[in-house]
Amino acid sequence: MNSPLSRRHLLRSSSCGFGYLALSALCREKALADLATSSGLSDKVAPFHARAKRVIFLCMSGGPAQLDTFDYKPQTGKKKHPGSVFNFSQHGESGLWISELMPETAKQADKLCLLNGMNADTGNHSQSFHQLHTGDRLRSRPSLGAWINYGLGTANQNLPGFVSLNTAKPQSYSSAFLPAVYQGSPLGINGENMSTATLANITGDHLPTSAKRQQLDLIQAMNREHQSIRSDDPALEAVIESMELGFRMQSEAPGLLDTRNEPPAVLERYRVGHNVSEGTCKPSDFGRQCLLARRFAEAGVRFIEVNHGSWDQHKNHRRDLKANCEATDAPIAALLEDLEQRGLLDDTLVVWGGEFGRPGLTPDDGKDETGHNANGFTFWLAGGGVKGGHVHGKTDETGARAVEGKVHFRDLHATILHLMGLPANDLTYFHEGRNHRLTGPEGGQVVTEILA
Amino acid sequence: MKANFLYASPIPWMAFALTAAGNEEPDITTAQRDFFETKIRPALVKHCYECHSKDSKKLGGKLLLDTRDDVQKGGESGAVLVAGKPDDSLFMHALRWEDSLEMPPEEPLPDAVISDFRKWIEMGAPDPRTGPVVPVSLPVSTPTTHWSFKAVQNPPAPQITETDWGYDPIDQFILAGIEKAGLSPARDAPPETLVRRLYFDLTGLAPSYDEIHAFVEDYAGDRRASVEKLVDTLLASPHFGERWGRHWLDVARYGESNGNDGLSRNPTFPHAWRYRDYVIESFNRDTPFDQFITEQIAGDLLPGEDDAQRDRLLVATGFLALGAKPAKAMNDNFNMDVVDDQIAVVGSGIMGISVACARCHDHKHDPIPTRDYYALAGIFQSTETLWGNAGHEKLTAPATDLHVLKTAPKVPAPADFIETVAPIDSNTGEPRASPASKWPDGTPLAMGVRDRKTAVNSRINLKGESKKLGDIVPRGFLTACNMPGAEVTVEKRSSGRLELAKWLTHEDHPLTSRVMVNRIWLHLFGQGLVATPDDFGVFGSPPTHPGLLDHLSSRFITNGWSVKELIKAVVLSHTYQLDSTDDEAKVALDPENHLYTRHLRRRLDAESLRDRILQATGELELKPAEGSVIRHRDILVNLAGSLHEPSRHRSVYLCFLRNSPPPELAAFDLPDGTMVTGKREVTALPAQSLFLMNSPFLVEQSRHLARHLLRTGGDDDHLVVTEALRRVLCRNPFEGEFERASTFISDLDAELQGNHSDAIIRKELAWAAYCQALLASSEFRYID
Repeated sequence: MNSPLSRRHLLRSSSCGFGYLALSALCREKALADLATSSGLSDKVAPFHARAKRVIFLCMSGGPAQLDTFDYKPQTGKKKHPGSVFNFSQHGESGLWISELMPETAKQADKLCLLNGMNADTGNHSQSFHQLHTGDRLRSRPSLGAWINYGLGTANQNLPGFVSLNTAKPQSYSSAFLPAVYQGSPLGINGENMSTATLANITGDHLPTSAKRQQLDLIQAMNREHQSIRSDDPALEAVIESMELGFRMQSEAPGLLDTRNEPPAVLERYRVGHNVSEGTCKPSDFGRQCLLARRFAEAGVRFIEVNHGSWDQHKNHRRDLKANCEATDAPIAALLEDLEQRGLLDDTLVVWGGEFGRPGLTPDDGKDETGHNANGFTFWLAGGGVKGGHVHGKTDETGARAVEGKVHFRDLHATILHLMGLPANDLTYFHEGRNHRLTGPEGGQVVTEILA
Repeated sequence: MKANFLYASPIPWMAFALTAAGNEEPDITTAQRDFFETKIRPALVKHCYECHSKDSKKLGGKLLLDTRDDVQKGGESGAVLVAGKPDDSLFMHALRWEDSLEMPPEEPLPDAVISDFRKWIEMGAPDPRTGPVVPVSLPVSTPTTHWSFKAVQNPPAPQITETDWGYDPIDQFILAGIEKAGLSPARDAPPETLVRRLYFDLTGLAPSYDEIHAFVEDYAGDRRASVEKLVDTLLASPHFGERWGRHWLDVARYGESNGNDGLSRNPTFPHAWRYRDYVIESFNRDTPFDQFITEQIAGDLLPGEDDAQRDRLLVATGFLALGAKPAKAMNDNFNMDVVDDQIAVVGSGIMGISVACARCHDHKHDPIPTRDYYALAGIFQSTETLWGNAGHEKLTAPATDLHVLKTAPKVPAPADFIETVAPIDSNTGEPRASPASKWPDGTPLAMGVRDRKTAVNSRINLKGESKKLGDIVPRGFLTACNMPGAEVTVEKRSSGRLELAKWLTHEDHPLTSRVMVNRIWLHLFGQGLVATPDDFGVFGSPPTHPGLLDHLSSRFITNGWSVKELIKAVVLSHTYQLDSTDDEAKVALDPENHLYTRHLRRRLDAESLRDRILQATGELELKPAEGSVIRHRDILVNLAGSLHEPSRHRSVYLCFLRNSPPPELAAFDLPDGTMVTGKREVTALPAQSLFLMNSPFLVEQSRHLARHLLRTGGDDDHLVVTEALRRVLCRNPFEGEFERASTFISDLDAELQGNHSDAIIRKELAWAAYCQALLASSEFRYID
């Protein structure tokens, strides 16, 4: 029997200066190895105080217009300047300013922690989207969800630790050089119909489960034999783990994906099956995505990403922004409400945002077109140990750039890792001659001001 | 005042200038200055200034490297240079990634650059840069600085110590690198491994047990002759084109439907398959690659000897027509979007350069000015693109004409065929009747391009907007690829496509041959000499073996751009024939195998996996499929449900609808067909495991195999196991393997007793489960 922990894996882990985690992971993996269910995904104890146990990332691709959603910029002088062109009012006890386009989310204002001083390096969609997900603009790097899985494993061994819904780009759920077991599992790719998308081949009735287990034992015995006479190859290890995960998923996932047992009122609150299609706003059944996100969170999935887009409303800013808000507002509110009601909000970190924001329109000048703005935009966090009803950071009076409480993607990444109980700048992996980390060479600053 | 030396420097493209302040010229010789200007300054700008210049967004370690004084002053860690003593200089420690300081932080500089810095410090760090400098912008590569724009050299093969090792000059280039690193190549692959590898690489299929046996015997006689004989056979096989054609279809972003137009509509391209067949045939014929490119860009403008050849040339231009288009509705830029896709496929696909960024602005890193983009755009604007009816949905794309073929057979829809998917009226949302076709039913049609009546020059679209027009740019090509003495100019009346093809395939073109030989290498070794096959620009990877890349490129051209010749040369090299297993310690030194001390193990790609499953179960139909399941259907895929139908033909003939890939392939990293994909991803997602465990395809194929085995093996379990292993894994049972199989069968039989009372059914199910296990195993799915 060869151990699923190859020497190289061991060397990698122990040379990465991440002793505690590596050690605890190794011990647990060793235990699991005896059960022939080798898995780097075993549930690991966070090395630091963890405020959150899981993340739901509401990825708003295309660059959401922060000035017409969460960063209120009224006119300040006689001369009209770029700012908000939709109405805002104050909400909740905290009195957060939220746009009229988000009436349902506004009711959850006291849960939101707005980061109005976000900034990124580039206004190029694919590069910034890549940086938001991986910390790097250009190279293939592990995505945030893969890093978190690497650090913490998953709480439910029968499900992937990282699920990415309605995803378009493999690199946004890729594990890159991390072992492939930390890669995300996509549910609905390439614009698949999100009302029906499921994990393909999740069931099969050709054999009873017990027989399937015997069959898998044979496959794995062959795979281990095959691997043992070949020099250390992480791809072969990954296959063995992936076969186990697939097997466990088929017992647990089908029930989880079947939302028919949800009461009609819940389906309605989430707007399941309600598709908005207008200009850049594409049908994404965002309600079903959010409901599935809640169910995955309840089941112990570590990192869940849901996607809606595109918020890249260059041409018809007002019309398309309205559509995007309508498609996402109620589902998000229902998700926050449910998480709170089930006592999950305290340890579930919800993150909302996209690859950058947009410059404001100037009221009454007849224009309806917006471009990209990476110098100042908004993210919000909720639950998971952050302050609710709180605003951190601000942009200048036209919203053009962040001037206070600046938070870069690497700082956001550091903060998320910190909230998960992981060392923000010391979660590293040794690859091609050096240690890599999510926060890159510069490292990220944890935004301590927002910790509850 | 000598301020303007900058102007004469080899790097005039940098926004560099000395101020007029009366700084004294430092005391350095001309040779030293040349050394600084050609080696040191470009390296500083390229690798250091991002963090160590006045213009840096964030100054690293309070260290500026802009002027001689800055360098001598040092940063927060103190002095960085000790003139004349590189080993005592912190600068060198950092470059060598010794101690804790590692610069640049991303990855160490190439050895050659480090050794230049060393030489420079040994000289005493002569530095002509006096006085304050004006801010520097990020480096922009130019033809004279970036490697891929320089002319292809034909370097002599380097000297090596083990002179007997090589079979081909390729081996000298590889071995030189291995020896330099103080390593040695792995042992040779055993013949059983090599024969599987060659079948996979050249045809995508597996050898039969008998074929392996025959080869192993031959190999024991005359090793190199036996390999060459096998290679010749495989290159001559019609299955070669099916494999290598598919590689090209990835580059050509091939798809049989438009893909989501942004408004969820996805019209079929019922005639795209003709281009697929053209590509397969071209690889089988070994059409010279320059000719192949010319046909795809300008086939309609070439003289054809007869109608059949003319048809073939028209089909070739499908290359430019089958791109994914964004909806026409409310899109002023639609026509330019079509042009943009054509520029992108020619740019990334043929030249390995992304030209598309220059649609809106000068390329930020590569030397592609916006003018060049519109010079190319004029060529395609003077071209009419024929995509057909676009699912009768004019909001996606207005219907166009198609090429009518003269010699292809007329294939009308079957008499009982009724189209069930109707177009939707955009005003009422109600189904409406499909418009009658302008051609009689069954007319052979092809997507493609033809020249417009009048040729035009494009005007720059400011910020990429078709309504904001700037200067007119004459039709032309990329200025970065300057080919002295080989200028091709566009005739006033022609679109310029033929000239573009001539320019691309000119023997002095620095990119076309390099990009293609790198693609070939990638498919034979699992990685390219340039790791980014579609990006030879500044942000692409530099070649690991630049000499070898150029050697292969010039050899490619000298051998008449023959793809088969080049593949043959590579697979006959010793390097190709190495084992995939090596000392663990050696593997650890070069885990990514950049030195090619061994062969990289590869996973079967989606198509090969399906093909080899069908082959193992005896179900594969080796004859090419005719046409496509959608050849009579001008509809919207998104309204149709699944259009895929079961097939026993090779996977390349399945229906590659964008956003609706063949379900038997979808889990295994298929490209989406919207952009050039030179290298597919290789993931190990649980979706793949689920496919292997549960998909109707695997279940059905395993049953076929089990039934077949039981029919021929009867009650002799030994025979059944042996035959199963030979068919699936191409080998005989290992010791103990038969017993393991037997135990599995009896255990499973016991397990199934509760579900099935019929012993015959149980037996078949158990054996099917065994066959499925073999088909799902790593041994089956990985090629050593």
